Amino acid sequence: MPLIDIRDLSVSIPTPDGDVHAVRSVSLEIERGEIHGVIGESGCGKTMTGMAVLGLVPKGARITAERFHFDGEDLREKAQSLRGRHIGLISQDPAAALNPVLSIARQMDDVIRAHRDLPRKARRAEAASLLAATGLPDPERVLKSYPHQLSGGMQQRVVIAQALATGADFLIADEPTTALDVSVGAQVLALLRRLVAERGLTVLMITHDMDVIAEACDRATVLYAGRSVETGPVEAVLNRPGHPYTRALLAALPDAAPHGARLAAIEGSIPPPRSAIAGCAFAPRCPQAMPVCAAEPPPERVRGTHRWLCHLPEDAA
Amino acid sequence: MSATPMLDIDNLVIRYRAGLFAPRLKPAVNGASFRLVRGETLGIVGESGSGKTSLLRAVLRLLPVESGAIRLDGEDWLALKGDALRRARQKIGVVSQNPFLSLSPRLTIAEIVAEPMLAQGERQGPAMREKIAGLLADCGLPADFLDRRARELSGGQAQRVAIARALSLEPGLMILDEPTSALDVSVQAQILNLLADLKESRGLSMLFVTHNLKVVAHISDTLLVMRRGDVVEFGRTEEVIRAPAEAYTRELLSFGRR
Ligand SMILES: Nc1ncnc2c1ncn2[C@@H]1O[C@H](COP(=O)(O)OP(=O)(O)OP(=O)(O)O)[C@@H](O)[C@H]1O
Ligand SMILES: Nc1ncnc2c1ncn2[C@@H]1O[C@H](COP(=O)(O)OP(=O)(O)O)[C@@H](O)[C@H]1O
Ligand code: SF4
Ligand SMILES: [Mg+2]
Ligand SMILES: [Mg+2]
Repeated sequence: MPLIDIRDLSVSIPTPDGDVHAVRSVSLEIERGEIHGVIGESGCGKTMTGMAVLGLVPKGARITAERFHFDGEDLREKAQSLRGRHIGLISQDPAAALNPVLSIARQMDDVIRAHRDLPRKARRAEAASLLAATGLPDPERVLKSYPHQLSGGMQQRVVIAQALATGADFLIADEPTTALDVSVGAQVLALLRRLVAERGLTVLMITHDMDVIAEACDRATVLYAGRSVETGPVEAVLNRPGHPYTRALLAALPDAAPHGARLAAIEGSIPPPRSAIAGCAFAPRCPQAMPVCAAEPPPERVRGTHRWLCHLPEDAA
Repeated sequence: MSATPMLDIDNLVIRYRAGLFAPRLKPAVNGASFRLVRGETLGIVGESGSGKTSLLRAVLRLLPVESGAIRLDGEDWLALKGDALRRARQKIGVVSQNPFLSLSPRLTIAEIVAEPMLAQGERQGPAMREKIAGLLADCGLPADFLDRRARELSGGQAQRVAIARALSLEPGLMILDEPTSALDVSVQAQILNLLADLKESRGLSMLFVTHNLKVVAHISDTLLVMRRGDVVEFGRTEEVIRAPAEAYTRELLSFGRR
């Protein structure tokens, strides 16, 4: 049984101008010990999918799903109690996740005290050991510091240590390296990989960066307009993508074209989040669209554990 | 190269001032030398705090220089003062990372693009409006954007407006600080194509700063890598990519998909 088992999830948010369909139909299976990447353009529903798993959707939002399970438990009922105990969040902006006026020691202690019944001294030792586990070279000095005295990479390690302190074994990392340098980001990704190997963590990695997927993930799911349109092993998704949208994203990257040549930009933009979509949501932008595409929902194409939704026959991919 | 370079920088040192009694800070830029040939793009990459923005700010004369020389279009750029400096700054257009922060949300696009021209004393009127429509068209935006407001734009559209505004005084040099870092790859590709078109059609010279080596390697003719205030690598882009001299450059190049 996969740790995360989501089938046909939708999240709609009522607003004065009509419902926003932030997530329309996302299916996601994540096995224990896996880093699973979720990728897509901004506004495709990546963050809202993560928020739904955390039970942090906006007030009044409607969640429907055929299945919405964490470790066999229904997230519609249990998300609040699983969050913090089993499910942790690492967000894009580590500075915002930390309280600027409290020392790191105090902030680590608050988390540890809320989850473990330990005497003060043991909590302090635990805090230092968790910080050390994230590769921070001088945990004692970090404990005495305030957030502004740490670099972005160090702050992100503190946030990861806090997530570990809760005892969470499933982490949702929403663009964890976007605010960091490439080289610092690479270190944070290596840290997550190590923690997965050493502690058996499972990670949902939200990103819009194909290089992060390649660097850190075992499997990946591509979202487009609130739908999961392709999923599979990273190697297959990046090297033999089935869905024309995935192919277009990869072709738009600057290293996909010879030096100085024009890049294959994707014309147009994602459909407005309030619109109704009949067939394939990518049809207006798809270079291979056929008349059937705009009219009927695309069927699933399967190549082992690599699956995508498209009207094109499987051998056209 | 016989023609005067657009930008010629020699042994530039930039140091921020510490407090009155505090010890002197390390230089933010520590003896940078490079040149930008007219009509070419120079890419600058480096980790956070390596001195990229400081370098750009010094070229814009927004930051005092401790020592060294800057020649812009053959002129001793550090010698200019007052009105002469203000007029000469027209030769430089600037585009920054966050298109929304740099555009006032309540102004119309026409007002935003007009700002630099009005500041230089150009007269408002039908001729200016026509010029703005032309700039927007060059940046891939139809004329009906003239009366829309910045808060209604997507990230890519906002960045196109910022580029149109930077072009309004017909600069020879464009300075771009992380112009695509906040954008999706699909939109990033559109903006990079637009910059390539403008370079071609207007003969622009560009200084392009980014964290993303793959982006800058694609569009730059020469590449400069900074680390902790030092220029650690400078050369023709193809050569730097083929045979990076520094481990740091190799690390940046090897990140991600292979
Ligand atoms: N106003 C300032 N006062 C003092 N030091 C500063 C100031 N602005 C920048 N610095 C320092 O100068 C150095 C270079 O900073 P700069 O902003 O040029 O880096 P950068 O390469 O643009 O970084 P980033 O990629 O984060 O934008 C850093 O050590 C920075 O801390
Ligand atoms: N609180 C909210 N109220 C209304 N719409 C929202 C809210 N949060 C997100 N949305 C909309 O839902 C869609 C998906 O958003 P999000 O999950 O943040 O996308 P991503 O993380 O992929 O960029 C977008 O159209 C976004 O504008
Ligand atoms: S279903 Fe049609 S429009 Fe959609 S991705 Fe496939 S070919 Fe393109
Ligand atoms: Mg998001
Ligand atoms: Mg900077």
